[in-house]
Amino acid sequence: MSTDEISAKVTAFIKERFLSGDENKELEDTTPLLEWGVLNSMNTALLLMYLRDELGVVVPPTGIVAENFKDIRSITKMVNDLGSPQRATVAGTE
Amino acid sequence: MDFDLTADQQRRYDETLAATREQLGDAPSGADGYFTRQQWKVAASLGLTGLCLPTEQGGGGLGALDTALSLEAFGRGCRDTGLVFAVCAHLLACAVPIRDFASQEIRDGMVSGLASGDVIAANAMTEDDAGSDVGRLAVRARRDDDGAYVLDGEKSFASNAPAADAIVTYAVTNPKAGFLGVTGFVVPRDLPGVVVGEPMEKMGLSSCPASRVRFDNCRVPEAYRLGAEGQGGAVFQHSMAWERACLLAAYLGAMEHQLARCVEHARRREQFGRRIGAFQAISHRIAEMKQRLESGRLLLYRGCWLLDNGRDHVGAIALAKLAVSEAAVANSLDAVQIFGGAGYLSAAGIEQQLRDAIPTTIFSGTSEVQRELVAREAGL
Repeated sequence: MSTDEISAKVTAFIKERFLSGDENKELEDTTPLLEWGVLNSMNTALLLMYLRDELGVVVPPTGIVAENFKDIRSITKMVNDLGSPQRATVAGTE
Repeated sequence: MDFDLTADQQRRYDETLAATREQLGDAPSGADGYFTRQQWKVAASLGLTGLCLPTEQGGGGLGALDTALSLEAFGRGCRDTGLVFAVCAHLLACAVPIRDFASQEIRDGMVSGLASGDVIAANAMTEDDAGSDVGRLAVRARRDDDGAYVLDGEKSFASNAPAADAIVTYAVTNPKAGFLGVTGFVVPRDLPGVVVGEPMEKMGLSSCPASRVRFDNCRVPEAYRLGAEGQGGAVFQHSMAWERACLLAAYLGAMEHQLARCVEHARRREQFGRRIGAFQAISHRIAEMKQRLESGRLLLYRGCWLLDNGRDHVGAIALAKLAVSEAAVANSLDAVQIFGGAGYLSAAGIEQQLRDAIPTTIFSGTSEVQRELVAREAGL
């Protein structure tokens, strides 16, 4: 998946789930998601599940740091760096 | 699938139950109503303050399930649930993150003290404006030139704090990073700038003192940091996984004891010429108490098992915490009703169980937060 595709998917997910659709189109790829509280602990857990289930990327605990989640650009880079899609699993039943 | 305890697990459970009944069964608290160092040392001599700490530092070396089984026996054998809670909070919310995230320089010495009972620990996370939403912490830690951190701000509710020698706490090190800008620390009580408040009156768990904790320009050497800078949220969630899974096991034990008392009472007490247990109103109430207890127990053992096996456990442990805490409240209300007037009077100890059960749906993540976690796992 190209970085543009990753970025588009992550942007769409954040808009729909955390910004009520973002009708004013305020979300940009450098919007400070952590600083503005768009990504709090609950929302980040949902995003991690989305990345795991929809993009096949499992973020290891050591990867859950501000540098990787500060904006869409960072998230996209992280997903891209984590590389080849892994098999999505269902919690607790793999 | 095997629902039997192993011989080792059964032996450890039986020994802990017998020892806590004998040595802490109804151990009197101090003159001020709070647990004493002597009681704490007795709990430590039974291994309870270090169940899941490494054997090299004097701990029991147990995993989450075995820790839970021992705490279940402790909760069943000891009538002072405040003391049981205090030991659990010390072990699970404090010793666990110190075990797993403290620098080597600090870890081994402190873990030995935590296991032996020489060091009592308190967890100070909650603030006036940051309860369930721990991303809204106001306590700050700024880095000084020499690498030390300077903590400023106030925590509003720290169980064990008035008795504590070490305080596990969390502070914002990077305000721009939201919940990923939080860092964990273990702060020795005697550092200048640590101000522990007076014990606050509360509804239950009365022998466990709780107070506010203020940090006034408190310099904490870097070695006392838990994990990396910004990792505090993960450190805290790790400690909460252990606390939600294992602390609630103590309440399984308390419910076991409570149910036995209700059955005994319903078999003995007669009204209208019959044992009250012969009335369906009572017998069905007892059946429902048993159902809540056993279903909570199965969920809790499974949550611990997932934790021990390194599997996804957040949703399973949330279900267990929710089930056991709600069961503790519901069963305690039922017990008061079954005992009637005697249940309402304090002497029988039945109403105290209710007061000790109420906080379970609040501490270690409220029932509301647990339901959110469960809903999230369900794909909402």
